Amino acid sequence: MQEHFNQEIENLKINLTKMASVVDDMVERSIQAIETGNIEFAKGIKEKDLEVDAYDNLIQTQCENILALFQPFATDLRFILSSLMINNQLERCGDIAVNISQRIKKTYEYKNLIDESQITDMARKAKEMLKKSIDAFILKNRELADEVLKSDEEVDKLNKKVFKYLVEKMQKEPNLIEPSAHLLILSRHIERLADHATNISENIVFYIDAKLVSHYKKLKKIQE
Amino acid sequence: MIKNPKIIVENLNLFYGNKKALDNISLKIPEKLVTAFIGPSGCGKSTFLRTLNRMNDLIENVKIDGKVFIDEIDIYDKNIDVVELRKKVGMIFQKSNPFPKSIYENVAFGPKINGIKDKKRLDEIVERSLIRSALWDEVKDDLNKSGLSLSGGQQQRLCIARALAVDPDILLMDEPASALDPISTTKIEDLIFELKRNYTIVIVTHNMQQAARVSDFTAFFYMGNLIEYSDTKKIFTSPDKQQTEDYIRGRFG
Repeated sequence: MQEHFNQEIENLKINLTKMASVVDDMVERSIQAIETGNIEFAKGIKEKDLEVDAYDNLIQTQCENILALFQPFATDLRFILSSLMINNQLERCGDIAVNISQRIKKTYEYKNLIDESQITDMARKAKEMLKKSIDAFILKNRELADEVLKSDEEVDKLNKKVFKYLVEKMQKEPNLIEPSAHLLILSRHIERLADHATNISENIVFYIDAKLVSHYKKLKKIQE
Repeated sequence: MIKNPKIIVENLNLFYGNKKALDNISLKIPEKLVTAFIGPSGCGKSTFLRTLNRMNDLIENVKIDGKVFIDEIDIYDKNIDVVELRKKVGMIFQKSNPFPKSIYENVAFGPKINGIKDKKRLDEIVERSLIRSALWDEVKDDLNKSGLSLSGGQQQRLCIARALAVDPDILLMDEPASALDPISTTKIEDLIFELKRNYTIVIVTHNMQQAARVSDFTAFFYMGNLIEYSDTKKIFTSPDKQQTEDYIRGRFG
């Protein structure tokens, strides 16, 4: 029984790792397209997303089966719950990679605008957060997860700077209104990517230490 | 942690001959809640349960030291009337053990021994006990039928009715549903939930899901030691001790 259970958990972990690796590759390529202005990187990402969707369904089914057949407790239960949540976050990250790749196809000619608005910096940071959160999951490493949690604010700050810069640009140079509008949406996608990486890290903290750190700051403020 | 202790155990040791079966157990059992004892076979949980109404007195070569207070009275004091104690602390066993008598006589047996002769009063006690044990609707038209003719689950509820008939405060249950099918098990679990409104319940179970479902507090025993005792939610989600975590996850034993 224990052997059977361990095998199921191992299979779940393998599939989640494979899914994470596909998502990581999609995000990496979409952000490389931002960094280089070369849209060749953005090609084929949408097709890859089908693979992610298939993993999403597979992992949900695996989790449901383990819960129904083994009724795990403690660490095992938290592993299944966090796997379900991480699966969900990764699936969204896949969608975001598709969105980014579509948006960059419309804006890649405005490389200077992209760099000056700090979208490139923001994208690099968000990508690193996702990579780190995936590593934190695979290595079961709380420190890496904590590093991701700390980075979220930096991306939020950068997002505000991007917004301000692009709005000013639109006011001053009406011919840049259309690309700037696309870039505003692009920066929103990147900001969401960082949020999902943060959520994954919060799920990892829950798995490792049985602590809920989501919404911590907001709830603490309300309590005060 | 425990606000209204009904039972307080202090430094309890129990020996079978030279073998120490319980090692320095101290804990408080809350009133009108369900406390579950879990642990692998031979860990001492049933032995400990039996110390709470001095059932171990019946076993030869058992030596006990330490204190067990129920309602602040030391039940191992030499002046304690053990029969009175066992009226107050009823016990339900793994295997249902009705007397080879009618359903009515099974339930009326205790009150009769205690001197109640009035038929009307006995009728009331039998009805009330069978209602409380959730068996009344199934047997009310046939109270003269033999208790042994009932199904396993019904027999177990008859034994609970028999325990309730002498008006106890505390019910000790030693694997009360382990020999029953899932439907009868659910009935017993629902009954436990219902009974805790009026009684303090202590249950020994090997079924971890059952402990998680029915109890408010859980104590984990291992090799005669109380390893961890806490809120049931805490024990089954994030226990403090590694041994507890390993046991509930099925990693040893």
